[in-house]
Amino acid sequence: MTAVNILSLHKTYPNQSAPVLTDFSLSINNGEMIALLGPSRSGKSTLLKLITGIERPDSGDIQFDGSSILNIDPNKRGAVLMFQKSYLFPFLNVAENISFGLKVQGVSSETIGAEVKRMLDLIGLPGIEKRKPGQLSGGEGQRVALARALVTNPKLLLLDEPLSSLDTSVRMNLQEAIRDIQRELGVTTMFVTHDLGEAMAMSYRMALLLNGEIVALDRPENLFHHPRSLAAAKFMGVSTFLNGNQVWGPKEAEVESYKKLYAIRPEHILVQKEASENSVEGVVSDCIFRGEYVEYQVAVDGTTVRAQMPMPATMFPHGERVYVNFPRQYLFEVSHR
Amino acid sequence: MKYLTTSSLRLILYLILIAPFLLFVAYAFSTRWFFPHPFPIEWTVFTFQRVLDDTRTISSMAQGLWIALLVSVLSLILGFPAARVLGLRRFRGRHLVWMLFFLPTIIPPLAIGMGLNILFLQIGLAGTIPGVVLAHIIPTLPYTIFTLSSAFARFDENYEFQALALGASPIQTFFKVTLRLMAPSLVVAILFAFLISWSQYLLTLLIGGGQIITLPILLFSAASGGNPSTIATLSLLFIAPPVLVIVATARSLNRHGNEIREQY
Repeated sequence: MTAVNILSLHKTYPNQSAPVLTDFSLSINNGEMIALLGPSRSGKSTLLKLITGIERPDSGDIQFDGSSILNIDPNKRGAVLMFQKSYLFPFLNVAENISFGLKVQGVSSETIGAEVKRMLDLIGLPGIEKRKPGQLSGGEGQRVALARALVTNPKLLLLDEPLSSLDTSVRMNLQEAIRDIQRELGVTTMFVTHDLGEAMAMSYRMALLLNGEIVALDRPENLFHHPRSLAAAKFMGVSTFLNGNQVWGPKEAEVESYKKLYAIRPEHILVQKEASENSVEGVVSDCIFRGEYVEYQVAVDGTTVRAQMPMPATMFPHGERVYVNFPRQYLFEVSHR
Repeated sequence: MKYLTTSSLRLILYLILIAPFLLFVAYAFSTRWFFPHPFPIEWTVFTFQRVLDDTRTISSMAQGLWIALLVSVLSLILGFPAARVLGLRRFRGRHLVWMLFFLPTIIPPLAIGMGLNILFLQIGLAGTIPGVVLAHIIPTLPYTIFTLSSAFARFDENYEFQALALGASPIQTFFKVTLRLMAPSLVVAILFAFLISWSQYLLTLLIGGGQIITLPILLFSAASGGNPSTIATLSLLFIAPPVLVIVATARSLNRHGNEIREQY
């Protein structure tokens, strides 16, 4: 169990001009599972390479329990990676794969046998020791890969989009399994993903990585409902932003509030037939039934407002004139960047 | 019907492959075989015994085997790093390097051999096994590099990162993961180098200068002698090791190939 401190990492690859990571800092508490959420090419993979020691940062430091690991060889760091693909060694069976990390460290074969069994029980697949990786399903392969990583008792477990190639149902199962196992073993974990829903489900805290920089770090529910910047809000699924004058109207205008930018989540926007306080008129351009909710796209002043209303909600035909209402209590301020 | 077509096609292919071999056998083990007869009149093992009793035969085979083994192992050691970089990395001048490695297969071996001969005479390598081995590496190395680099182009370094992160040292990673994953291609690369070296005539003759006698050299001199039985017998001995090596590796090649395919 380890507290991880990442301090002001900078990384630019030699043949590229733009930096991949700029001033990246992040602290992970002992035993915490943190999600690192970012689109592709945001610097996630580079960060993992720096932590595991495949690449070196240009500047900055990575500390485990307060001491720097930058000068420790990759195989002695205790930071274990699990990828989207299981990368189980195809020439070894399940038991040999799980025990790989113990064998190279010279652990005795009795201990290995017991550990393999304990790990297979932990991942809920007892009795598959003799199977080859090619005989496992995608979900089973990832479970075995998890066991192989955990058996070495890592200081930091890095999960790099581990569920992205799996079917939804298998994925849900494994999310649950990883949460349970992580809680049981208390291993410090970083879950890297581009999927907002998965990041929220798999973390105590969630960091949003955009262009090599952490733009937001908070508990998932806070980040989801009150992202502080424009970029963070967009990634959290907010698409409607209002300027101060649109919110307050000319009469109540205060100079300060005029300059501010406000955002509202699509599920808080109301689409109705009647005008009410703080509403604008628009034309329905699309209305999609999504099961639990209806998704509206309404053209207002040349822009499209996206709204979601829970069922039962009215399905409006294309071209219908409606009023879009932004309830003031749900508006929150975001920074312009 | 489809089964009949494929199986008869297969039979014809096998016949084409085996026919010269059968002809060798017929010539090697017969004494009298005249025109209208489809088969030899008398069979004998006399020629075979005579060829085997000749000390030059066995020693040339041993020498050829030894040289071919050294050549294939050395080509592998020399070619592996180059193949890895060519297969895995994209860098400026990559195609140029690629072409440079390929050049020895385009330039006539006679040109290489004559030039090398003068050099090797000066530094005392002419007429020695190390000299012949070095000369053989010239045609084998390109094939080793191309076989391995195309394998490395499909190679996923994440297996190695995984092993490192699990605590394996770089050396353990190399032997326990990299070599294991590359095993099928390594076998193919060794096979190529072995076959090229084993059947090498010109370079052995030029560099060996009559001191190093391998089976192809014996075979060529016998061929100019004109005794079909001796030629056939030596030819049989000549194709025996390659056939044995291919038969021995075919099974493991297939199995490894399937394992790797499952993973991709």
